Amino acid sequence: MKNVVIAGYCRSPFTPANKGQLITVRADDLAAQVIQGLIKKTGVTPEDIEDLILGCAFPEGEQGLNLARLVVHLADLPVTVAGMTINRFCGSSMQAIHNAAGAIQMGAGEVFICAGIESMTRIPMGGFNMMPNPDLYKSYPQAYISMGDTAENLADLYQIDRPAQEQFSVTSHHKAYKAQQNGHFSDEIIAIETSRAGTVTQDGCVRPDCNEQSLAELKPAFKADGSVTAGTSSPLTDGAAAVLVCSEDYANSHHLEKLARIKSIAVSACLPEIMGIGPVNASQKALQRANLTLDDIDIVELNEAFAAQSLAVLNDLPIPEHKLNLDGGAIALGHPLGATGARITGKAASLLKRENQQFALATQCIGGGQGIATILEAIS
Amino acid sequence: MNINKVAVIGAGVMGASIAAHISNAGIPVFLLDIVPKDASNRNVIAETAIKQLLKASPPPFMHKNNAKLVTPGNIEDHLHWLTDVDWVIEAIIENPDIKQSLYLKLAEVCEEDTVISSNTSTLPLKLLMQGMPENLQQQFLISHFFNPPRYMRLLELVAGPATRPELIDAVSEFSDIKLGKGCVPCKDTPGFIANRIGIYWAQCGLLEAIKQGLTVEEADAVISSPFGIPKTGVFGLLDLVGLDLMPHIMQSMEQTLAADDAFHQIKTIPPLLKQMIADGYTGRKGKGGFYRLNKEQGQRIKESINLSTGEYSPSEKVKLDSIKAAQKNGVQALLAFDDKTGRFAWQVMAKTLLYAASLVPEIADDIVAIDQAMRLGFNWQQGPFDLLDKIDKAWFVAKAKEEGFDIPPLLENQSKLYTVTDGKQLFSDLTGNYHSIPKKSGVICLADIKLQSPAILSNASASLWDVGDGVACLEFHSKMNTLDMDSMSLIRQSIDAIKTKFSALVIHNEAENFSAGANLGLLMIALQESNWDAVSALINEGQQTYKALKYAPFPVVAAPSGLALGGGCEILLHCDAVQAHAELYTGLVEVGVGLVPGWGGCKEYLRRQMQHPKRFGGPIPPISKAFETIGLARVSQSAFEAKQLLFLSADDGITMNKERLLTDAKAKAISLSANYTPPEPYEYQLAGQTAQILLTIATKALHLIGKASVYDLEVSKQLSHVLSGGNCDVTNPLSEDDILALELEAFLSLVKQPGTVARLEHMLKTGKPLRN
Repeated sequence: MKNVVIAGYCRSPFTPANKGQLITVRADDLAAQVIQGLIKKTGVTPEDIEDLILGCAFPEGEQGLNLARLVVHLADLPVTVAGMTINRFCGSSMQAIHNAAGAIQMGAGEVFICAGIESMTRIPMGGFNMMPNPDLYKSYPQAYISMGDTAENLADLYQIDRPAQEQFSVTSHHKAYKAQQNGHFSDEIIAIETSRAGTVTQDGCVRPDCNEQSLAELKPAFKADGSVTAGTSSPLTDGAAAVLVCSEDYANSHHLEKLARIKSIAVSACLPEIMGIGPVNASQKALQRANLTLDDIDIVELNEAFAAQSLAVLNDLPIPEHKLNLDGGAIALGHPLGATGARITGKAASLLKRENQQFALATQCIGGGQGIATILEAIS
Repeated sequence: MNINKVAVIGAGVMGASIAAHISNAGIPVFLLDIVPKDASNRNVIAETAIKQLLKASPPPFMHKNNAKLVTPGNIEDHLHWLTDVDWVIEAIIENPDIKQSLYLKLAEVCEEDTVISSNTSTLPLKLLMQGMPENLQQQFLISHFFNPPRYMRLLELVAGPATRPELIDAVSEFSDIKLGKGCVPCKDTPGFIANRIGIYWAQCGLLEAIKQGLTVEEADAVISSPFGIPKTGVFGLLDLVGLDLMPHIMQSMEQTLAADDAFHQIKTIPPLLKQMIADGYTGRKGKGGFYRLNKEQGQRIKESINLSTGEYSPSEKVKLDSIKAAQKNGVQALLAFDDKTGRFAWQVMAKTLLYAASLVPEIADDIVAIDQAMRLGFNWQQGPFDLLDKIDKAWFVAKAKEEGFDIPPLLENQSKLYTVTDGKQLFSDLTGNYHSIPKKSGVICLADIKLQSPAILSNASASLWDVGDGVACLEFHSKMNTLDMDSMSLIRQSIDAIKTKFSALVIHNEAENFSAGANLGLLMIALQESNWDAVSALINEGQQTYKALKYAPFPVVAAPSGLALGGGCEILLHCDAVQAHAELYTGLVEVGVGLVPGWGGCKEYLRRQMQHPKRFGGPIPPISKAFETIGLARVSQSAFEAKQLLFLSADDGITMNKERLLTDAKAKAISLSANYTPPEPYEYQLAGQTAQILLTIATKALHLIGKASVYDLEVSKQLSHVLSGGNCDVTNPLSEDDILALELEAFLSLVKQPGTVARLEHMLKTGKPLRN
């Protein structure tokens, strides 16, 4: 079978929904600017691209129709590039990478752009017209459970108290701020042109001054006597991310920079009311398929939907602090649903190179009760 | 001359609130203050003031977007902004020297047609203009707003001998039409009209209550409602104004009033007041005043001070025989009542009314101006001279004489102070001759119309009046203008009468509140008897009456002011158009008493959300928006907000001055009556059960976070059932009658539940919603 590699990663700045610098930018324009950035950065020949696979959690309104095909035109890609919009909620753009990997190994193409997008400002979470199935709601209401409630459930189940969650958040912000100061994002961020805020180059969700005292003052966000607050949840975010996925042969013959090889992939499903635990099963499946154990993994990008959710996962997947989310996670950086999968997979690949390590795991939980994981391997 | 741009100098509470109110008129305004020493941000005072305005309660802005019309600046860098400003209002510290040096600067930058006015409450114009250049004197006047400027309707205007009349006219017209103020021309005397009398009254009340040994609760109960004075009475008012102001005002009055003025006899500041101020008890802005809220035990307990010991104890409800006597036999019975509360009332009111009578023509040309100033500036229902007629002037004078009071010339003659001849109200001058009260040309009001001709139709709850030019006016006049079967019956009769004799209908009244909604007491009686037929009949009658109003063959324009809640809001929703007073507090608040809007409120409000041109697409957004507004019982804080909430339509008019409301509404009705065709019935395409489930999920989330109570869940379920179209499918359009049937079904389901009964009982007993 052909080897599949990640041959480039970039993203837009991630900024807070409804108040950040990207609120005026349409999702399709945002995705197009990031994809143009990826083409420029990798030097890939656009004519060779088989398909643009674009993940999006609420593909309606400005994110509607077949967004991916429209972004092909907006990004000035050749008209011969196909486009597919894909939805696995928060796992959408990691799923895009998986689809591309599968296609390459099937011999169904050599080069793919796998991207993700979410303007949570312009398309509200849940969409404009959420219309639950009355029968399903009556027989299985947890199918529609809200994300905050699932975080509270995990906090209860794993007895994760509020200070522990707050400490996790502070750490995430501090790691992100440090990475920012060290210029670790300048490499991956594509400057975005906006009508109101000019050129945007910086992430907007990171709070350098985040501390336990200020977090302790927040009110619970989902349950009056609960422990999860806005400060221990990932913020609503606008952002896009993209990776270039191609066969190792293609990368070699076209002299593309190879960040990492895709070693194994997996999805899994669990009870919707504890959807946040999804990464555990997905990661174990992926490890097994890669013939690795957790100890073999050097770099982990675990998406931080909620601090409680991340801590629950870490309880079952004991990952040492020094391997985890080196440049901060979604609590600090933000979580534009459809874009996160491409970000953490691209990030994990870049980190393997930067940190000169061998194996990386990127994994995330998915609303509705799922997990998704990707294991990457350094290319020596 | 038109006023299109205004500047306010001085960004203290008063200056900033005046600026806010000018922005309420849609007029851009500069707000300037000094640059504080070593300030890095040179506009910091004005900028901070605007931020405070946005947080203040009650809100100074009618819509928070108005804040964008207020541009902050400072008097060192931005005086040049004033070159194209039409009116500059000075509201800085009450110091003549500082004011004068500012005026000289203003005179340099302002055009000669720019009005420059001071908001001083104590300094005479002649003092402010002493030694000022002639051209400045010509453009200068005093414009004295009352606090809070958005809500208090009085604007006292004092012109100097040199002030150009056209500038006074410009300010008067602008303040009347754009700011909604009642402008009262005052003489250049200390405290002008309202404060001269109002402060005298309050100070008399304070001293007399201490002297007679009344509690503050007793004093405030006696000196308020029986006289048509706000229920804050004397002590509640002093708490509101600020106790620390009293010594300043007293001192200023003492220095500026003539030696023989009665004010000097009551100028004493009691030791208790001094002690309270020293202890930080300066009123509501401080730790409290004569009343305070004790939050120590985690509860909010209202306490009052003991006037002799200075100790606080929980406030008590007072039941006084003197007040009962007044309720039974009129206010005269209270003044004659032989106990300490009766003697208190007599002493305070006798002194105040005699003082007011002694001030004509010193402070105003006639009694009309004084009565108006007290009504608009202190919210008295009647001014002092209205009150004298109500008490019976002859009786009052005889009693005052007997007790050795001096009787001012105005009260010496036998005639009443006001009288009505040929449908016109007349007032008495000093010699007892009557003159007609000057009216603004073209402005009509119901009170005048009622003097001129009988009602066309009338019952206990409502009447129909001919307001001229083919327009009839339906007036509610039940208690709080609540709506009952009589109201419905008169609406039906009116529709028939108008079909033959008129071309349009205005629904309007001049009470403080347009309507508090359905009469819940009557509903409660039906519930107690489990008389579900009566409940159905009540709902049906309201639905069919409002529907008849909507489809009447003539235009219907509502002209509401104040509260228009529940059934009162539902009427607005059924009218062709609304001409609203800017101070309109409207909303569908039925969930507060465990009900859903049942007189077509759900039907009409949902339609407005569905037809809103800027709404999000798809079947869900209008339903969830309607659910949010009705489910949270949102009430507009102004007519502008009512537009944003879609209780008013984009084309509905807003009148700033309540006095002009009927006039504007009538004009709107006439404009709609040419070639009028009733609206087309609306067809509803609703999502049915799926929407209901979505709203259930949303409400449960609110419940989890503690923002929705247990019974809220049940009420929300019924409300969402109506707004979702029941069990309909999106392919199956519903008629207006279908939605009305859903309203009735939900209403009947709720009234049978103890949760709703408990809410209704609590509301009827306490006037507040129960959260069960």
